[in-house]
Amino acid sequence: MQQGQRRSFLVYRFVPLVCVPVLAGCVSEQSMLHPAGEDAAAIANLFWVMAAGTVVIWLIVMGITVYAVLGKKRPKTERFADRFILVGGVAFPTITLAALLIFGLALLPDWVRSHRPDLRVHITAEQYWWRVAYEMPDGSLINTANELHLPASQTAEFVLTSTDVIHSFWIPNLGGKMDVIPGRTNLWRLKPTDTGVYRGVCAEFCGPSHALMAFPVVVHEPAGFETWLAGEAADVEEREGHALFVSAGCGACHAVRGTSADGAIGPDLTHFAGRRTMAAGTLPITADGLQSWLIDPSHHKPDVRMPAYASLEATERDALIAYLLDLK
Amino acid sequence: MSKEDPVTAEARRETGSGTDLWSVIISPSIWALHFLVCYVSAAIYCQKLGRDAPLSDIRLLVIAVTVIALVGIFWSSVRLWRVHDRSLTDDDFEYEHNTPEERHRFLSHVALMLCVLSAVAVIYVTIPMLYLESCR
Repeated sequence: MQQGQRRSFLVYRFVPLVCVPVLAGCVSEQSMLHPAGEDAAAIANLFWVMAAGTVVIWLIVMGITVYAVLGKKRPKTERFADRFILVGGVAFPTITLAALLIFGLALLPDWVRSHRPDLRVHITAEQYWWRVAYEMPDGSLINTANELHLPASQTAEFVLTSTDVIHSFWIPNLGGKMDVIPGRTNLWRLKPTDTGVYRGVCAEFCGPSHALMAFPVVVHEPAGFETWLAGEAADVEEREGHALFVSAGCGACHAVRGTSADGAIGPDLTHFAGRRTMAAGTLPITADGLQSWLIDPSHHKPDVRMPAYASLEATERDALIAYLLDLK
Repeated sequence: MSKEDPVTAEARRETGSGTDLWSVIISPSIWALHFLVCYVSAAIYCQKLGRDAPLSDIRLLVIAVTVIALVGIFWSSVRLWRVHDRSLTDDDFEYEHNTPEERHRFLSHVALMLCVLSAVAVIYVTIPMLYLESCR
């Protein structure tokens, strides 16, 4: 490689490659280091304690290494060497690991199923989106998708299952992750403490669009959450564009509650325009985004099951987009 | 360590030429049995009583088994200590030569190290039981 080429490789490839993951940690909406929930606070605490301990141990080991290389070459007795290995190599790691084990075990969630949570949300992970259903006090389910709303300082229980492959449900700001396994129901509880908008992700590789399987998480004050849930539970009336929505075939896969569109294959679109993102955190909800999505969904999201609607007349597509953007 | 005459100290060591492999594997075997008893009994207990069952009964069993296991490992260590005598490390303990006595010493040294490892492992297996509340 030429000198110039090497430098340009360093500047354009290597430096961003190293810096991007590090700088990505500075964004707080998807960060374990900005806890907004009880579990996340405990995990962040564990991280900082371990990080500080690691730095201290690293400095000691490096100090000894430097001393061994540069220090005065005075012979040590065999007895000293044996003791040194026994204390530094056996006793110290054993005690440190035991302390970490105890510290880690103390963080394990201690809830039992008999204590009822304040809210129960059923979540079904599919390639590559999240089916979300809120359990109402009467036991009925309110379907929505790809966005989670939670009340602050209340315990939410998630009933997690999958229809295809193993996914993992993770909202770093609120707590740890839980695998979502087909044929199995996993329970997971989180207690958000701070209101705000966070980002949840799929944390288990599930296919080509694994990284495009995210969801915004909105933590409200409890009263604000009740208002939101009431709005989400409300049906919408059939309005202009509905006939096109059905005739173009959208209603076969997508439901719009209150209308004849009741497909259950894709995400529920009842209050689509009220959400923050579309296609599970892939695009913002804008006319341009929808246009581009409808023409070629797999361009934005490889392996997506939704077919392309490029064959639709441009006017029909515009009308469909207007209808979708009206589903507040 | 006392500065006693090396010859006297050497004489105090138990001598022998046995290559009894039981003395080597006794403590790892105790570890294995302890592990199996803890995990199998907890698995059966939780399968019978459900996920929300408290672990209090099984915790007593695990603690009892742990005490028995540690006593067993300690007994094995004391036996081996007579061969090893002065120091847990091998600073004045010759076992590099091809004689029956030194083979015996070598195996005893290995066995003593395995006792330490097994004792630590048994304690590590037990620690989670002191912190877990229910079968979940």
